[in-house]
Amino acid sequence: MILFDKVWFSYGTRQVLKDLSFSIEFKEKVAILGGSGEGKTTILKLIVGLIKPDSGKITIEGEDITNKTEDELRGVRMKFSIVFQEGALFDSLNVKENVAFCLREYTKMSEDETDKRVRELLQIVGVEEAIELMPEELSGGMHRRVSIARSLAACEPKMFLYDEPTSGLDPINADNICKLILELSAPPSPPLSKGGIKGGGRGFIIVTHKVFDAMKVADRFMFLKDGMIIFDGNKGELINTTIPEIQLFMVELNLKPL
Amino acid sequence: MGQGRQDSQYLAKMKKVKIKELISGLQDFYLLSLRGLVGIIRKPFYLKDTIEQMDYAGAGTFLIIFLVSLFVGMALSLQLSAELSRLGLKMYTGMIVGISVIRELGPVVAALVFAGRVGAGMASELGSMVLGHQVDTLRVFGVDPIKKLVTPRILSSLLMLPALTIIGDAVSLFGGYYIAVFVSHQSSTFYWSSIREVLTFENVFAGAVKPFIFGYLIACICCYTGLSTKGGAIGLRRSTTRAVVTSIIMIIVSDFILTRILLYALGFPV
Ligand SMILES: Nc1ncnc2c1ncn2[C@@H]1O[C@H](COP(=O)(O)OP(=O)(O)OP(=O)(O)O)[C@@H](O)[C@H]1O
Ligand SMILES: [Mg+2]
Repeated sequence: MILFDKVWFSYGTRQVLKDLSFSIEFKEKVAILGGSGEGKTTILKLIVGLIKPDSGKITIEGEDITNKTEDELRGVRMKFSIVFQEGALFDSLNVKENVAFCLREYTKMSEDETDKRVRELLQIVGVEEAIELMPEELSGGMHRRVSIARSLAACEPKMFLYDEPTSGLDPINADNICKLILELSAPPSPPLSKGGIKGGGRGFIIVTHKVFDAMKVADRFMFLKDGMIIFDGNKGELINTTIPEIQLFMVELNLKPL
Repeated sequence: MGQGRQDSQYLAKMKKVKIKELISGLQDFYLLSLRGLVGIIRKPFYLKDTIEQMDYAGAGTFLIIFLVSLFVGMALSLQLSAELSRLGLKMYTGMIVGISVIRELGPVVAALVFAGRVGAGMASELGSMVLGHQVDTLRVFGVDPIKKLVTPRILSSLLMLPALTIIGDAVSLFGGYYIAVFVSHQSSTFYWSSIREVLTFENVFAGAVKPFIFGYLIACICCYTGLSTKGGAIGLRRSTTRAVVTSIIMIIVSDFILTRILLYALGFPV
């Protein structure tokens, strides 16, 4: 369980998060919505301990991570598979080396085993053909997929964290990424035979400003505004909300023929 | 009234934050320099990254150093022969070229070129890695960015800048020779024998210490500036510029300090 307890965070004089408190179970499917610069990425970074809150407490499975050192945080980070905004592939390495990054760093796999594993992972996300390409040769959608594959190789995650996985993609590609996100967390999928990544209903947190995509994947919605969570509820509650800021966000949905 | 008071409170807070940032920045810089250096002898080692960096730093800079050193040597020799022949002291050209190049110009010129090319590259590469969340990704994967990114760059600078300096020195001396012999019509044997005379332990040592220090400084400054990049493309421009400018200033300043120390330590009267 992820628990934020009265978390304050600022960059210099810019107060980003104000007295933020919430809790999320590992098996939940959560979307954190909010406009640009509202601090969505900041929340994900706080969860994996990349930045520390000014005050307040963040606990992961009962462990307080606020005062942990980089080494102590390693165990915590292993619980998550995080995909950053824009994918964040290492642009000096090709797709294969990107996906193999953690395998090379932490396992003594032979070249053949590594190759096999990388191909399996790329197959799961559906971009096997890109294995020899460099990141700059990938389209936006492929980039995200490879990034997801890379984060799957890292460990046995208990939860996925996605930062704007669909932004900058056309609706069809965005939809495919949404499907992949659901596939990766629905039990028991992908099948054990296919690469051996265990299913088991791992949840995810998807951070996005695209309400439409969030609606497709998530069960619980949080809306971030001025450093505070002004809404926390399920899909029905979101649709029927009377909060004007959120209604503005939902305009996008109404463009769809009913 | 109220507004003014709020403004001054805000300014005070800004000032506090700025000072705090400055202090923590310096602290981070020392930590990075120290841990980057210690990383050379502590596991894990990133050999592949180091070789890649050495290739970039060495092979790519060789030609520029060659060109710049050649012309610096020629210009120096030209100036000296002109002035010294007016005084009837033309035969000292070789000696003065030798001393200036080995003790002073060679290391400084090589370091300046290195900062401009390799240092700027380090800062902008690391900066764009920061902006693209690649450094965050490394940390999430449990990889220490200092060991993975900074140590290979420090190591490659420590190895390549001295090597490039030696090459640059040789090329400068050769440029000086060309002018002295073919333009100023001095004896070639005399030029080389005066060069050989200035290749004493003291002179060579004084010239050999500098590139190690410069290389370390450049790598630390440029890595630090690159890793503290924020604010998009403009931020990247800012940190690349800052990396090069700071490196250049630090090279010149530390050169003076080093010269002072070395001359004292090696017992040269001033
Ligand atoms: N390294 C940083 N230094 C200073 N300010 C920062 C830094 N990173 C982010 N900020 C500021 O903090 C605020 C929140 O940033 P964050 O990246 O969390 O926003 P976001 O909700 O993810 O936005 P986006 O949808 O654009 O990704 C922004 O206003 C941003 O300007
Ligand atoms: Mg963001």
